[in-house]
Amino acid sequence: MTSTWRLVAVLSGICAVAGLALAGVYEVTKEPIAYQKKLEVIRSLEAVLPGLDTDPDSYFLDMQREDGSEVRVFRSPAEDGNAVAGAAFQVVAPDGYSGNIFIMMGVFPDGKLGGIEILSHAETPGLGNLIEDESWKGIFKGRSLDDTNFKVKKDGGDIDQLTGATISPRAVSGAVEKGLIWFKDNRDAVLDASVGEKPASTFGETS
Amino acid sequence: MSGYVQEFTKGLWKENPVFKMVLGLCPLLAVTNTAINGIAMGVASTFVLVCSNTVVASLRSIIPDKVRIPSFIIVIASFVTIVDLSMNAWAHQLHKTLGLFIPLIVVNCLILGRSEAFASRNPVLRSLVDGIGMGVGFTFALFLLGAVREVLGSGKLFGYEVLGGAYNDVLVMILPPGAFLATGVLLGLFNYIESKRGV
Repeated sequence: MTSTWRLVAVLSGICAVAGLALAGVYEVTKEPIAYQKKLEVIRSLEAVLPGLDTDPDSYFLDMQREDGSEVRVFRSPAEDGNAVAGAAFQVVAPDGYSGNIFIMMGVFPDGKLGGIEILSHAETPGLGNLIEDESWKGIFKGRSLDDTNFKVKKDGGDIDQLTGATISPRAVSGAVEKGLIWFKDNRDAVLDASVGEKPASTFGETS
Repeated sequence: MSGYVQEFTKGLWKENPVFKMVLGLCPLLAVTNTAINGIAMGVASTFVLVCSNTVVASLRSIIPDKVRIPSFIIVIASFVTIVDLSMNAWAHQLHKTLGLFIPLIVVNCLILGRSEAFASRNPVLRSLVDGIGMGVGFTFALFLLGAVREVLGSGKLFGYEVLGGAYNDVLVMILPPGAFLATGVLLGLFNYIESKRGV
């Protein structure tokens, strides 16, 4: 009997010490991890809304798509603060070569794309992952539903596919087009400067 | 003193965890598509290995035989979680690249293997040195594999062009099959050298 108690005591002791140590490390790393996550969003916002002030913590708008999925729209206020100068939101391309592709896209009020940023993907290294290249992402800049057919060239559209990889660009471009259509349909709500989180007083300090 | 030196150097060559004992192949095959990924994975594993070896060795007389494996696993898992959180906080980009394979260090048989086969039977300092030696040997193997695959697969080393624009990338080398090819060739090479040395 005593030996059984010893087993329990030793194992419990080790678990308790391990638990305490982990709690300590978690406390120490909590802030830096949250900061890194925020930094990631800020970087993607700066990439897709070039030239605009972007702060992920203020002036955003939580909306719902027709299919019920939630979408957070990050917005930049115009200089006078009474209008929205640009909006950025995340779209998902479910039809990539390998799993979902998460994309951040920025749109200006006139419906033109500020740019796109690939947040995460699992496409083939060396082929599909070339969608991460600036040169490919750059071709979306300034395009809108009016002047662009968002199919890849192979399918008769305007978007370049990549050598050896058509599926990934097709998926990204399709998701971006859907995002633009969603923006067009919800334009008034997204650009309504009177709703949503107000710009913080410290606005702009992040850039 | 010479005992400690030997304890250290055996991990580098004579008992190299990858080339000699063929341990820890899961992270080896998964993350070595670039040299820097290989080194990062190696360093993370080394940290866990050294810490868990030290703790296990210092607790070896307290831990009853019947619960030694669960105890080792708790110790190892704790250090892995510490590495996971720390990398997420201070080496975020690397953490994103290595992703799931950091938590998976827990099930790296190399680490539990050293706890069970060495640290639970040897004094603290000796176990510490063993952990460092094994860790460095493991890191060396991961780096070598990562470097070979990165150079052949993308013509780069540490992100810099080394083979020039005329080189045609052998894409398969940075894909999963390339890991098996490179590991096989390196293992063969290692054994060839061994046999030439007349061991």
